[in-house]
Amino acid sequence: MGLALSVRDLVVEGDRGRELLRIGALDIEAGSRIGVRGPSGAGKSTFLYAIAGLIGLKAGSVTWGEEAISARSAAERARFRRERVGMIFQDFLLFEELPALGNAALAASYASRSERERITGGAADMLARLGLGDHNERAVDTFSGGERQRVAVSRALAGDPPIILADEPTASLDRTAADRLIEDLADLAASRGKTLIAVSHDAALHERMDRVIDIVDGRWTGEA
Amino acid sequence: MPSALSEAWQGLPADAQDAIWFVVLLLPALVTGLIVTRGYRPFGLVRAMMWRYRWTNALFIALIAISVGIGVGLIAQERGLRKGTARAAEKFDLVVAAPGSEVQMLMAAVYLQPVDVPLIDGPTYATIENHENVSLAAPIAYGDSYEASPVIGTTQQFVTHLAGELKQGRMFAGLEEAVAGARVPLSVGDTFTPAHGVGDAAEHDAHEGYGITVVGKMDLTGSPWDKALLVPVEGVWAVHGLASGHAPERAGQIGPPFDADYFPGTPAVLVRAEQLWANYALRSEFTTEKTMAFFPGAVLAGLHSMLGDIRQVMSVMAVLTQVLVTAGVLAGLVVLTRLYARRLALLRALGAPDRFVFSVVWSYAAALIGAGALAGIGVGFAAVGAISRVVTARTDILVTATLGWPEFHLVAGFVSLTVLLALTPAFMALSRNIITDLRA
Repeated sequence: MGLALSVRDLVVEGDRGRELLRIGALDIEAGSRIGVRGPSGAGKSTFLYAIAGLIGLKAGSVTWGEEAISARSAAERARFRRERVGMIFQDFLLFEELPALGNAALAASYASRSERERITGGAADMLARLGLGDHNERAVDTFSGGERQRVAVSRALAGDPPIILADEPTASLDRTAADRLIEDLADLAASRGKTLIAVSHDAALHERMDRVIDIVDGRWTGEA
Repeated sequence: MPSALSEAWQGLPADAQDAIWFVVLLLPALVTGLIVTRGYRPFGLVRAMMWRYRWTNALFIALIAISVGIGVGLIAQERGLRKGTARAAEKFDLVVAAPGSEVQMLMAAVYLQPVDVPLIDGPTYATIENHENVSLAAPIAYGDSYEASPVIGTTQQFVTHLAGELKQGRMFAGLEEAVAGARVPLSVGDTFTPAHGVGDAAEHDAHEGYGITVVGKMDLTGSPWDKALLVPVEGVWAVHGLASGHAPERAGQIGPPFDADYFPGTPAVLVRAEQLWANYALRSEFTTEKTMAFFPGAVLAGLHSMLGDIRQVMSVMAVLTQVLVTAGVLAGLVVLTRLYARRLALLRALGAPDRFVFSVVWSYAAALIGAGALAGIGVGFAAVGAISRVVTARTDILVTATLGWPEFHLVAGFVSLTVLLALTPAFMALSRNIITDLRA
């Protein structure tokens, strides 16, 4: 089951104290699918990194379920991401020299012994489900963009985390591949009850979300 | 160390001690590796990183390999040269010559690098030859040459003492016969005319009209004598128009005993006693106003012990050079880890523990160092073989250097030191900003 997100009085500052993002109060239900929309440079990615615990906050709180990650150390936030969050990036960020399964099961290389098998099994399941089951041992530098992003999705979901955070997941894909990915992501999140938050310019993606929030000039301005 | 432990250590075979030292020297690297990678499996990623920038990595490995290889090669070579020079001097128990420099006489009589010295006269030679403890006395009369080969006047007994049974032909038996060293480019039956002097200063027509025939060849001795032409000392005297060494009624005689009144002189005399103690007694007995007596082995040992200090300096410099090269390589690694910065940032974004990221960077550096050190041993073997051939060709002293425990110890110490240094780029990789690198 997904986790609910609660953001309160969030302030993120950049270098030299410039304010990048300010959000008064935002609540997202567990298991919902959220699109985050806004012009380039408006602070969408910063929002995503902030709720992932990748950025230290100037003020405010980020709480997932019962866990206020904003109050935790960087190492504890890393542990939270490791256990609870799957992340997807615009340009996939795969290790090109590793095979598909090696990438999808990347977390097994730093997981505890007892978790390794579960993660590797989950990764193989995900690859199979996304139509790459016959290519587990193929190096990903031979894959198309759409296939690579599916490997990245498999990596995000290999450990069966309750939260999926995606940063422009379709921006590097052609329309067909993008549509297929949106389909896969939306279905997976819905069927497994994950909380999905996807930053994107892609209207087709927003259509498949339960809710779309707009961020403009570093502020949450309202909902479609 | 408690004495029981110390005794146990002394009781171990030398090889076991060396092997233990090797492990002890390598231990810091192994322990660091175990601590850094404990509980993780970074090697798949390290392999991927190695492969991604394989040419850059190969270059780094080659740099380390060459610096390690040359370092161990030189040290092994120095040891090989010491052994080679010692072996070449083995047959020269005691040398008696006119007072002067022992080192110069060592070079002249043992390594055939001639030097002008006063001669030992007939009465002195007779005293040596007739001494009750002397089992072999032989003149070593150098000064002539044929092309690159020194021509040495001596006795049949000395030839046998030096090289044992002849490999080919027979012993010289007349004034115009010679036995050639194994590496002299003359065959049995060839004739040559000696020049007066050696090298560029030789007077080639001084002995015109004398034809000396090679009648035998010695076995390989691994010393400069392999290049020498050995003739009866009477032949050398005859060529120079000197007395024959024997009274007129025995004028045709070759070899001892010599007649003191007709003995023209010799720059050096090899002396051998059956008993070890007798050698010492002879040395003090022949250390007089007119003669000096020395053990070539002892003079050589003195030279070696002086060189030993140089060797230690060389070893330290070899390690320092290697460490410097590695420091350069590690500085390069810091730059190289920037190439991986995005992937490392990704790992951290996905929630990989810092220690895992650290272990990936460190293992990558350690893999480069380890591969470089292993390849360096290969380079060392090749370098030692090549340098040995050059040194042997240049000095005629057979140098058969090969890598041994001291070199492996050096490499183990090098690996330990540098993988500890490699912790630095690993720490530096962790201090980078995740978001900046992710967006790069």
